[in-house]
Amino acid sequence: MLKQYRATLTFIAIVVFLISVGYAWLGPVRATSAVLSGLTLAALYFLLGAGLSLIFGLMDVLNFAHGIIFMIGAYIGYSLFGNPRLFTNTLPLILMVVAGALVGVYIGRPLRAWEARRRQLPADAPPLRIILSRIAPSVLLALLAVGLLFWGTRGFPLNRLIAFEPTATGGAVPTAQAQEPLSHMAVRLVGMMVAGLLLGPVLVREKRLEARGPFWKTLVVSLILSAVAAIVLWTRDPAERFMLGLSVDVRFVLALLAGAATGALLGVFIETVFIRSFYGRPVTQLVLTLGLMFIGVELVRAIWGKEGRPPMAVPSLFAESCRSPNLIAWLSERCSSIDVLGRAFPTYRLFIILIGLVILIGVWILLRYTRLGMIVRAGVQDSAMVEALGINVRRVFTLVFALGSALAALGGVVAAPFVGVYPDMGGAFQLQAFIAVVIGGMGSYIGTAVGAIILGLARAFGDVLVTGGIPLPWTEQVLRASPAIARASTVLIMAIVLLVRPAGIFGQKE
Amino acid sequence: MGNILEVRDIHTFIGQFHILQGVSLEAAEGTITAILGRNGAGKTTTLKSILGLTPPRNGKVVFAGQEIQGRPAYEIAAMGIGYVPENRAIFTNLTVAENLKIAERKRGDLDRKANFIFGLFPDLKRLYRLPGGHLSGGQQQMLAIARALVPDNQLLLIDEPSEGLAPIIIQELMEAIRQLSERVTVLLVEQNFQMASRLAKNYVIIDDGRSVRSGAMEDLLRQPEIIRRYLGATI
Repeated sequence: MLKQYRATLTFIAIVVFLISVGYAWLGPVRATSAVLSGLTLAALYFLLGAGLSLIFGLMDVLNFAHGIIFMIGAYIGYSLFGNPRLFTNTLPLILMVVAGALVGVYIGRPLRAWEARRRQLPADAPPLRIILSRIAPSVLLALLAVGLLFWGTRGFPLNRLIAFEPTATGGAVPTAQAQEPLSHMAVRLVGMMVAGLLLGPVLVREKRLEARGPFWKTLVVSLILSAVAAIVLWTRDPAERFMLGLSVDVRFVLALLAGAATGALLGVFIETVFIRSFYGRPVTQLVLTLGLMFIGVELVRAIWGKEGRPPMAVPSLFAESCRSPNLIAWLSERCSSIDVLGRAFPTYRLFIILIGLVILIGVWILLRYTRLGMIVRAGVQDSAMVEALGINVRRVFTLVFALGSALAALGGVVAAPFVGVYPDMGGAFQLQAFIAVVIGGMGSYIGTAVGAIILGLARAFGDVLVTGGIPLPWTEQVLRASPAIARASTVLIMAIVLLVRPAGIFGQKE
Repeated sequence: MGNILEVRDIHTFIGQFHILQGVSLEAAEGTITAILGRNGAGKTTTLKSILGLTPPRNGKVVFAGQEIQGRPAYEIAAMGIGYVPENRAIFTNLTVAENLKIAERKRGDLDRKANFIFGLFPDLKRLYRLPGGHLSGGQQQMLAIARALVPDNQLLLIDEPSEGLAPIIIQELMEAIRQLSERVTVLLVEQNFQMASRLAKNYVIIDDGRSVRSGAMEDLLRQPEIIRRYLGATI
């Protein structure tokens, strides 16, 4: 009986220990606000860790690119919130590349099949023919496509588009004349489309050389994408006025949705293009996702600049600069902070905790009560057996990758008004999320939540130690830790937990 | 009655190792066919190759008139092949109910088959809400077989059902397999020759990755020297 609940008891013991030590040293007022700060961090760690844990549990992939998705989600949400002009100018270009590539992949299959046949020469073929046969047309196409991509984006005023001035109310004043005239943009669109067309044959997988589905379907999808691109571009001015005319709250919700959607799409992209070919090869995956992490950071630096940005404006519910005495008064007063035992605590951080809680329960319900959840739980244990039951487990992998990435990106947007956005935020939060997942037990969903809470609390108390210090008993001295020690404390906790339970608190022994 | 499954000269590699070097067998519809052979002869790999979990590099697998080699395992399974692996591979953190439910291919499969399944394994009804990990070895084996019976499968691949179980449980399982074979064709890998010989109508012997002999079980029982040579067993 006791054995069955050992993990839960361990968790409760650690949390009770942390909190009671905190209360004893800090007194109830400072300790309560430290606990709330800790839970805020825990919510963010959890949003990142949930995906890490699900992806590791189901696919055995240590996804170092997860923090990137968190960060890109934050940047996308931040930009959409304050600077829709960036999207109305760049989105059409991206859509056109995709539209071109779809058709290119379709036409490219026979080309690649021909290329593969051409490479099979008789052994006694003349040397020149052998050399020529090795120069694959697809390589030339790739070079041409990349060249066109550069040509098409040459002189694109990205810097001016990015350099917007956020205002106090969360609106934005985009830099004057940031946009190019429509005729210029139209030429770029055509360039992108052709580049996509050329890129298509390069993206064809060698294993899938036969044509799939009728051509008109591909064409219709491609045309729809192109039409959307054109509409977005030609309505860019009214769309921007409309977007910035919306209330802060609506734009905040849109930012959350756009961030999560971008995360999901990125997840699908990373899984299908990069990870899928390397299941069962952990070292390759590790190097691959690490590489993606560096590329992602540099990409964000290249687009949005090396400098971070100040915190995003909060929704109106958290905007008034006042202090509400309690939660009910806050709902009508909409204050930015709330009275907790005589100390002010920012209400937006309570909102972060709430989001974490809602996602925790939502995903738990998904895992526990839906067929997809059942398949995921079974797959965590034995994905080959799930496949042997007739279930397309690869599709479930992609779905879970998308879900985990969407949660991470959502976390990024939620974090933007709290910590701002900066190119290192992905790495910083990912490290903590990894530690949380390891403490909780790799692959355990509840374990991740538990690890995040422990880690969040430890960080918050550590910060108190650094900023305020703790009066030592019986002396006049104050113990004050250095920031490095506060940061190291999380790793210390991980080491202790792993020494006692090598598989983590909720980990299953292999 | 025709053959629901025909395997023709398959070769399977696992990494660099050439595990199956020419296995051929057939399973006549509505019968039990036993795959016999020593440890490491390639019996389990044969089942996995049929299902596509370790896809054969050469050769043909014909199931219900269609060539299935090279297709993804989930497609092959969904055509109507149930798999009961040797380690049982039930999902220990799912309840018995969920272990059965996850095998559904159409909504309501489990409800339709419930009477049949619980008729074969009354224990499972009692344990319905328990996590699979709480079941005994015999009960887990029953659950693994029951799981393969939930969808409308035409062929079951059962690997070593008697492994590590008490004789009285083995008797119970044998009876259940005999009963279910009235509905579905069975390809049975079994070390326990006594059990295999009593259940199966036909046999295939695999030795060193090759199918070396096949035929009717009653003929094999008249050739003790073959049994000794390939199986190391005596009747």
